[in-house]
Amino acid sequence: MKIHEEKKGDVLVIKLSGKVIGGPDLVELKTAFQNAVNHDRLKILLDLGHVSWMDSSGLGVIVSGHTTVKKAGGEMKILNATKKIHELFIITKLITVFETFRDEEEALQSFED
Amino acid sequence: MAFSELRVPSSETFLEPVQVYLEKLGEIFGVGEGEQTSLSIAVMELVKNGMEHGNSMDPEKHVLIRTERLPGRLKFEIEDAGTWKPEDEPGYEPGEGEELFSSRGRGVLIARNLARWVQYDLTEEGRTRATLIWPLV
Repeated sequence: MKIHEEKKGDVLVIKLSGKVIGGPDLVELKTAFQNAVNHDRLKILLDLGHVSWMDSSGLGVIVSGHTTVKKAGGEMKILNATKKIHELFIITKLITVFETFRDEEEALQSFED
Repeated sequence: MAFSELRVPSSETFLEPVQVYLEKLGEIFGVGEGEQTSLSIAVMELVKNGMEHGNSMDPEKHVLIRTERLPGRLKFEIEDAGTWKPEDEPGYEPGEGEELFSSRGRGVLIARNLARWVQYDLTEEGRTRATLIWPLV
């Protein structure tokens, strides 16, 4: 798994790519969310468009990140979840927790609403 | 009839090789291209549970993945070395309210929803065994 971070206005876009399987990947992702909060980046757009594989462990870290960001007064939204990952969000009902988007501009704009 | 068996040490180091093995197995045994990833997710959830709950991530303890091609379906049996109690794991429906925000406990839920047929029982030696049936269409 690779993590790429990009600031777009006051939104931090965190792009994941590759397989989110377990172990060090999950620690790295959890750290990325915590670092964002530590640096007062409280609007996070998590781009999953290039994630080829993820299971419940990855979802767990995303939920944990969501909780961390929300407790700090921020919000996390999901961009470009692939069909397979979207299915996992539906199965686990996490689709009711996260706002999801297919278009980055629309997602960025939503933080201003 | 085809058969495959793999014994995996309970270590995170082996997660990705097992995931690749499962996708390849799906391809060889006739799982559709679009379903091989879902198959590997479902089985990996059970393998991870075995490593974690049954074997406490002890690399000296193994998880056994036995795959058998039957008419119209694949049968996976995943055995660990422990005697944990999977009856406490969620069924087909996720929790509500605060449970939704838990960082754990979705593995069996996902496996059951992707495969539609997951069952736990005990081996003759009393170890926990998960059985997953994947339909071949």
